[in-house]
Amino acid sequence: MIANYLSLSVILFCLGLLGVISRRNVFTVFMSIELMLNAANLMFVAVARLYESMDGHVLALMVMAVAAAEAALALAVVILLHKHKGNLDTNVFSLLRG
Amino acid sequence: MVSTLLFFGFSILAVAGALGLVLLRHPMNGAMSFIITLISLAGLYALLSAKLIFAIQLIVYAGAIMSLILFIIMFLNIGEKDLPDESGRWLYFIGGAAVITPLAMFLLKVVGRLPAGDTVIVGDGFGSVKGVGTVLFQDWLLPFEVVSILLLVALVGAVVLAGKREGRA
Amino acid sequence: MEHNVNFLAAIPMLPLVGALILGVLHLLYCKGIRFSEKIYGILACIGPALATVMAVKVYFNLRLFPEETRFMVQEAFTWIQVGEMNISMGFLADPLSSLMLLFVTFIGTLIHVYSVGYMAADENFPKFFSYLNLFLGSMLILVLGNGPVVMFVGWEGVGLCSYLLISYYSTDTENVLAGNKAFIVNRIGDLGFVLGMAFLFWGIGSGGFDYLSLRENAHQLTPAVGLAVCLLLFVGATGKSAQIPLYVWLPDAMAGPTPVSALIHAATMVTAGVYMVARFSFLYVEVPLAGTIVAWTGILTALLAAIFGCFQRDIKKILAYSTVSQLGYMFAGVGVAAYSAGIFHVFTHAFFKALLFLGAGSVIHALHHEQDIWKMGGLKEKMPITYATMLVGALALAGCPLLSGFFSKDEILFMALASGHWGVWLIGLLVAVMTAYYTFRMFFVVFHGTPRDQHAYDAAHESPKVMTVPLIILAVGAAFAGYLNIPSIFGGHLQVSHWLAPSLAEHHPHVSVWVEIIAVLSSIAAFAGGIYIAWKKFGTVSAEEPIYTGLKNFAYHKFFVDELYHYLLVVPYQFFGRTIWKAIEPFVTDGPVKFAVWLYGALAEAFKVVQVGYVRVYAIYMVIGLSVLSVVISRSLNL
Repeated sequence: MIANYLSLSVILFCLGLLGVISRRNVFTVFMSIELMLNAANLMFVAVARLYESMDGHVLALMVMAVAAAEAALALAVVILLHKHKGNLDTNVFSLLRG
Repeated sequence: MVSTLLFFGFSILAVAGALGLVLLRHPMNGAMSFIITLISLAGLYALLSAKLIFAIQLIVYAGAIMSLILFIIMFLNIGEKDLPDESGRWLYFIGGAAVITPLAMFLLKVVGRLPAGDTVIVGDGFGSVKGVGTVLFQDWLLPFEVVSILLLVALVGAVVLAGKREGRA
Repeated sequence: MEHNVNFLAAIPMLPLVGALILGVLHLLYCKGIRFSEKIYGILACIGPALATVMAVKVYFNLRLFPEETRFMVQEAFTWIQVGEMNISMGFLADPLSSLMLLFVTFIGTLIHVYSVGYMAADENFPKFFSYLNLFLGSMLILVLGNGPVVMFVGWEGVGLCSYLLISYYSTDTENVLAGNKAFIVNRIGDLGFVLGMAFLFWGIGSGGFDYLSLRENAHQLTPAVGLAVCLLLFVGATGKSAQIPLYVWLPDAMAGPTPVSALIHAATMVTAGVYMVARFSFLYVEVPLAGTIVAWTGILTALLAAIFGCFQRDIKKILAYSTVSQLGYMFAGVGVAAYSAGIFHVFTHAFFKALLFLGAGSVIHALHHEQDIWKMGGLKEKMPITYATMLVGALALAGCPLLSGFFSKDEILFMALASGHWGVWLIGLLVAVMTAYYTFRMFFVVFHGTPRDQHAYDAAHESPKVMTVPLIILAVGAAFAGYLNIPSIFGGHLQVSHWLAPSLAEHHPHVSVWVEIIAVLSSIAAFAGGIYIAWKKFGTVSAEEPIYTGLKNFAYHKFFVDELYHYLLVVPYQFFGRTIWKAIEPFVTDGPVKFAVWLYGALAEAFKVVQVGYVRVYAIYMVIGLSVLSVVISRSLNL
């Protein structure tokens, strides 16, 4: 029974991964990362239910806090990048080119 | 019976929302789909007797974080012309799906290996505010404090990053 | 049977330490810190002088021992220890090496003193003496070495110093080329020496590779290996002691300063080959054929050099060819197994040849570096001391009865006749005639007659005391050294031969008294004949500068041997080198290197494609890695 929840978590995670690697829009990439985090959260809570331990819940809480912090900072960076280049394309930032 | 139905309903909504996020072009539309996903996930948490997490998910994730994202999307006034050229994304989708499939298969197999069996019926205190709070402030006190510092750092960082700067291009 | 001492190592060390100190002083000299020449001179002569004192001490120490145990050894340290080969840096003082030690150190010291005067105005004064001390140290290592390997160390050292000193006036390319020629020709001989040592070691080396052990085991050598060893070692001697075919460097070596010619190319270094054959007398005695080859090579070299000497015009070249010729005599001596006679001729030759060279140096110094005899003349009144001492030296070289050269040369010729080598004796007599002729040709043209270059004649004057005193000392030696080895026919006891007997494997043949009388009388006749011809041609009249044609011109150009070597050996070798440089090197050595460099560049270009600069693409790389990893893990876990 719990295996269903875990499989759903895996499917959501892979969808998020797909979004990260195939989309160029900054916001979509960011939200795909949040999707991956949520999938992980689901897995924490499901396994906590399986083993009747509330550590999973606490961890899920931590993940949410981190996600919130990361969201704030990432969006600040997105605003700065938009100010710089006027563009929301991840392909534009290629200073690492060798 | 009902729980199974609810489970499948919420799962389908979650996956549909995720697909919408990944496939839709305008980030606003994607954000809306994502909110659907978040709400269905909250429902799934409720099914798992995680009362506090269910509430926190709705309040923090769907309420705060997504509001922030939507605010920024609207703030930047993204029109059709601002969107990047993503004509080649279907190629990436197919290629990405091909690459991710083995990973997904592997993970699914691992997950299927977990010991099967019906889950035990848990008591009322499981997943409640009191229960989570007890664990949080007794066993997980240090990580709790560290996360508070993390949030402070994030706050300061956000202010520094997005604030006005004098003499800087 | 030998005695262990601990002062032998000091004998070569004294001049070597002097060389080091003078080398440092020269570096300071180049930086501008200069002392007076007297100080350098004293520092330079102290080492050789002390070595002479120690040589005398060695002699007197040896005399105290009974004849069978006249060996003093000192093993300084173990040098090479590889498998069966256990070679230590050791020194051996026995009668042979003590005799060599005495005259090498004595004449070396005299020439050091002479050089202080001769090189007085030179701008690299300390460097000269550093090299000269280094040479003396190496020669002492050669003479005192207790085995062929230590001797080879000294052998190489004197070769190096010969090169350094010949090209001393290095601003002139000719001199440097002469130094190169000496070193390279020497090296070719050294190859023979090393091969000889290798065969010797292969044959009997397991019993110890020093002279005493080799002498005990010499009978274990098979005849073929013995012949090979003797001949190969002799090839080394032809290089070092200027015999056919490797003599071509010695006349060119006259490009060095005259004291260098006196010390190295007359008295000491060139005699190292003769010393080597005498040292290995226990081998040569076992293989008579090798001795015959050595004797014939020697006497033919003597003949060839004498022919060349009759036609040269440079005073130093005449003396150089005379040295080659006398060395031929010495090898004839040791070749017919008359080892003590050969070594005795080395001893007397050192005195009178050094005297002649130093006298020539005095003349050259007085005439401001004029070396052509056809520009000299009538110096008899202007330079009396030089005249008198050179007369003694010339008479000794020509073999005048009662002077040293007569006794030593006569001993060799007598031994050649007594051991049945008629051909060697006859050619030896002919060479004696020619020796007297060319020596006095030079003498009369330089000192008698009318001056041919008035301007140079007017500027000439006798040399300072620091140069004439060594001349006088050497003249005394040249005159009286012969009395040390008077044969019984004159009432003597052959003291030198008896002294050397424990070191050499020599058998004295028993012949009738008439053989010896014939030998002596023919030697005197040869001397008289040669001088008479020279007197008639150059002494009575003031000879004109000759113009050589035909055969004489051919002899004046030394039979074009140098040119022959050049076209036969040098040119093909240079062509070979050039071919490799132009044709083979670009492909064989440069090719793979360039290809490797190009390959790296190409690979780098190929891999550069991966660095696109988009973080998204890097994330894709990570995901690809992850999925590959998951496939591998699921395979290995059989999921």
